Amino acid sequence: MDAHEYVVRMENISKIYPNGIAANREVNFSVREGEIHALIGENGAGKSTLMKILFGMEQPTAGKIYLNDQRITLSSPLQAISLGIGMVHQHFMLVPSLTVAENIVLGMAPTTKSGLFIDYKEAVRLTREYSEMYNLFVEPDARVADIAVGMKQKVEILKALVRGARVLILDEPTAVLTTQETAELFQELKNLKDQGFTIIFISHKLKEIKELTDRITIMRAGRSVGVYETASITEQEISRLMVGRDVVLKMDKPEAVPGERVLCVEDLHYVNEWGKKMLDGVSFSVRQGEIVGIAGVEGNGQRELVDILFGLKLPDSGDAMVDGQSLVGLPQARIRTLGVSYVPEDRMTFGIAQTANIEENVISDRYRHKRFNRGPLFNMKSLHDESDRLIMDYAVLCKSRSQEVGMLSGGNIQKVVVAREFSSDPILIIADQPTRGIDVGATELIRNKLVELSRAGMAVLLVSADLNEVMELSDNLIVMYNGQIAGYFDDGQWDDLMMGEYMLGLKRQSDDEIRRACHA
Amino acid sequence: MFDQLIKSIFQAEFLFVIIRITAPILFAALAAVISEKAGVANIGLEGMMMITALFGFLFAYWTQSWVVGVLGAILVGIILGLMMGFFSFKLKTDIILSGIAVNMLGAGGTIFLLNMFTGLRGNTGALVSPNILIPTIDIPLINKIPILGDILSGHAILTYLAFIFVFLMRTFLYRTPLGLKMRAVGENPNAASSVGVSVIKMKYIAIAASGALAGMGGAFMSMYYSQGWNQGMVAGRGFIALAAQAMGRGEPVGAMFSSLLFGLAQAMKTKVSGLRGMASYNYLIEMIPYVVTIIGLVFYALSVKLKTRKHQLQPIKE
Amino acid sequence: MRDKRMVLFGFVRGAAAIVLALAVGAIFIFLSSDEPFTALRYLLIGPFVSFHGGVTAFNTQNFYQILAAMIPTIFTGLAVCVMFSANQFNLAAEGCVLVGGFVGSLIGIYANIATGWHPVICVLVSAVVCGLIMLIPSVLKVTLGASEMVTSLMLNFVLLYIVLHFLNYHFADRSKGATMTFPFLDSAKIPSLVSGTSKLTWGFVVALIISFLVWVFMYRTRWGYAIRMIGINESFSLYSGMNVGRMIILSSVIGGILSGMGGSLEVLGRYNTFVWRELPGYGWTGVTIAILAKNNPGAVPLAAFFLAYLNKGCQLMSTHSDVPSEMIDIIQAAIFLFFAAEQFLSGFRQKLVVKTTREELVRAESLDAIEGE
Repeated sequence: MDAHEYVVRMENISKIYPNGIAANREVNFSVREGEIHALIGENGAGKSTLMKILFGMEQPTAGKIYLNDQRITLSSPLQAISLGIGMVHQHFMLVPSLTVAENIVLGMAPTTKSGLFIDYKEAVRLTREYSEMYNLFVEPDARVADIAVGMKQKVEILKALVRGARVLILDEPTAVLTTQETAELFQELKNLKDQGFTIIFISHKLKEIKELTDRITIMRAGRSVGVYETASITEQEISRLMVGRDVVLKMDKPEAVPGERVLCVEDLHYVNEWGKKMLDGVSFSVRQGEIVGIAGVEGNGQRELVDILFGLKLPDSGDAMVDGQSLVGLPQARIRTLGVSYVPEDRMTFGIAQTANIEENVISDRYRHKRFNRGPLFNMKSLHDESDRLIMDYAVLCKSRSQEVGMLSGGNIQKVVVAREFSSDPILIIADQPTRGIDVGATELIRNKLVELSRAGMAVLLVSADLNEVMELSDNLIVMYNGQIAGYFDDGQWDDLMMGEYMLGLKRQSDDEIRRACHA
Repeated sequence: MFDQLIKSIFQAEFLFVIIRITAPILFAALAAVISEKAGVANIGLEGMMMITALFGFLFAYWTQSWVVGVLGAILVGIILGLMMGFFSFKLKTDIILSGIAVNMLGAGGTIFLLNMFTGLRGNTGALVSPNILIPTIDIPLINKIPILGDILSGHAILTYLAFIFVFLMRTFLYRTPLGLKMRAVGENPNAASSVGVSVIKMKYIAIAASGALAGMGGAFMSMYYSQGWNQGMVAGRGFIALAAQAMGRGEPVGAMFSSLLFGLAQAMKTKVSGLRGMASYNYLIEMIPYVVTIIGLVFYALSVKLKTRKHQLQPIKE
Repeated sequence: MRDKRMVLFGFVRGAAAIVLALAVGAIFIFLSSDEPFTALRYLLIGPFVSFHGGVTAFNTQNFYQILAAMIPTIFTGLAVCVMFSANQFNLAAEGCVLVGGFVGSLIGIYANIATGWHPVICVLVSAVVCGLIMLIPSVLKVTLGASEMVTSLMLNFVLLYIVLHFLNYHFADRSKGATMTFPFLDSAKIPSLVSGTSKLTWGFVVALIISFLVWVFMYRTRWGYAIRMIGINESFSLYSGMNVGRMIILSSVIGGILSGMGGSLEVLGRYNTFVWRELPGYGWTGVTIAILAKNNPGAVPLAAFFLAYLNKGCQLMSTHSDVPSEMIDIIQAAIFLFFAAEQFLSGFRQKLVVKTTREELVRAESLDAIEGE
């Protein structure tokens, strides 16, 4: 094998974050010159960390990086750029009020002869030149704020190319694109490949990977589980390798006895601000006493669904009702009085007030209740009792109720959130990624509580990107793909391979089968 | 009554006065514009102007040279800007609070410093001499044109400079690489740093430039406008400048028009209060620019609000 | 363990900031004075100790004057505390003190109300007026998102000119040389607390009581709780079902009420007629006090005392030495900068965190070991 075959080689890369999380363990990753290489894996498998290391944004704890067989160390993105590595981030790094051309030359603007002024004409010319050379059509004079998301992405790619990138990393580039824009992007990427560029393509979407890439590296739990020629591996195999589990936690849970429908979601449609359909006719219901899980790769509409259910977004059409009352457009206070409680995905932003103490955090949804007030004053004793009880019930490891929440570990912070949300006598609990990134003990406690509460008659909607979790906990399971429900399972007969096929869009149930999710 | 007013307004002298009154506000407004462009809210302008006005005058007095005075004021302004930057960017004092601290220094610290350096209290009246004041210049040719000459010629050098700076700054912000980087830093620091632009460095440069402009404004106040330094001299111009910046949408030219509006209102005040029957409204007239600012901010906020669609229902993350 | 250390660290840091600020002041004194030690003596211990005739004794009059000076600043300090707690950089306390003083004066001059109730009515009316004024910046903020900082700064000037207009053209006592109102009715004056010329009135007692009440409001009622949570994390509060907009408006209105009370209590206690012709500056002192008190109303009187003490020290220093009293502003600015600096001594804090975390880990491991057996 020719040594020059690989343009990038990463050897035995390990990355352990200061908080002890090992994002990469001894990963080997290499890319051939002039190929499109897919990097695939579940959320949290370590893809992003690996790419951040290659782009100099993170430094590896151990391991070596070679570029054209030269050992390199990368301490900043700037250095990576100067070595010809470019990255297109999932969240665009563009300045909205500047024009396309200005964004492209930012930090390296061409100047007029005097050296004082930007040669804007030259910037436009440069933009046009690259735009034409690589068939990436953009309007150099348009303000970035005014252009469509597909063009923004081209601007990002051009930014990297103008800076001399030969290796391009694209982090889930299609997540924000419409079908048409995706097709366009693929054409452009193939074009770049033909011109000798090397492309690393991070994605969850198997169809895209099959269509576009030459080789594929699959990651799972911080490790690389294999490198394959894309043509020689089936989508089923990729799916299996990606979600295959090391350990199977089996939960014993009593049989669910579903009662009345509590949450009814009817034909929700939502188009995001860039015109992409995020929810496309989603209907289902959640009944008393059952846990309905929503599985799916992130970005297939779960986020938007939950936001609509908690009053953060307005759907374009459709309705969502709790106990027969629509909650669309209601303020959060009203939604809560309907008996909905909510474990937010982003717990540090929405779940807690970091510098407030535990007590202040567990009472935030009920502090107005008569029980806790005497006339204008708080009834401190009943507040203390309440918080002590919750700390005890949810085994929050802390010194006292007056300890600052921000000082607790991630697991205990989540216990505080869950303690509040689970104890407000809700009729519906929406749990969004309830155990992401927390320790085993806290995870187990939260899962047990969810089962316990559902068996006590509450309706639970569980949204999780952790496939283990949804499969273990759910009584009935919905898989979302591309803003739609791809499958509804109520027989408890599911396994990871099957899930993988629905999650990745390889399979879809018939409309009739899916309609069962409404229990109408 | 109104024909009196109109007669006195349509005089070259009145327009001349507006320009004169506008100049120091304009310097401060430009100072606000440049720091805000890099995402730094400089509410210490009031204090910066007080302090630089004092030092400008003192330097001029010591060297008996107005040029040294102006340069000294600029230097002190830069130092103050860097100091604010150090506390806010390095030690993470909220930028609003470092601004308030500078205002405190400006309010009382200046009186202390004046006393420390000269033994005087409250004002520098005793030290004033013509050769340390900023000279006025007659512009050849233009001063020969009947009305225009009376309006435009005969101002202090710094007055012309203030208006020239409006266009220089616009050129700087929109035509130079540094200006481009500065705007990028103010608008999306992540994007700027991802292509190797140093966010902190840009912010330091912006607040230092802000200090330099405030310094010119200060020098103008003590070395021309008030002919000496005194305690109540700046009288809220630093705050007005913040409003002028906001009302001018953060653009140099916009800030110039807002500043002229303030200048007009102040000039009107003197005119109107000199009129029969209107004298007793002078304070209310003086109030107009501030009310106009609030109304301007309301309209600005409304226009932003109307642009937001359903997608911005989500609260802004901290 | 960790919390106790952090609290201690907080104290050490605060003290270090103050010492450093005083050191900055001392440097200026040494630079500017021919008698630096005299100046320093008056600055630091002058307010409490009188040195008359070689005899040192506790100086009661000075002490009363310090307490009297705290009356308006406790109120503005509290006002800023409440507004900053809701994360509102509303700086209109300055203008509200002026209006409060003016409105209180007018009622004190023109309304004939039974003795005893007269000052109460004056204070209450000015409180209400200022509370309503604060609706302007807060409602604009909540409904339109207009920066409360800029609107409140502008509002200060608007209020100043409105007061000046009415003072000059409607309520001025033309018989006097300077512009001032007619004298207050005797029934409207705030009674003195002690004899002498210290101007220490019952207003001081009211200020202390109000401090306590504001503390109770902030830490023992549902509204204060909501205000604090909104200040810490607005998104969290919204999610929890709080009415964020209404609470922000409430906090500003309370800020206005407190500033208005402070203004009228000060004017009716200290003067015989309304004499302010510019913004009195208490609003800005209130900001310093709120920073020193870390937004805790309970600590406001202490912070106000500290500043009043320094102020008195500076005055004495300027009377008895060649250092001007405006030194106070330099020290205050320095306190401000160091005290509010999050990263001040942060390296030390980081070490502390690492150390305690390590200890906790060791403890947790030993616990695990025990449980494992």
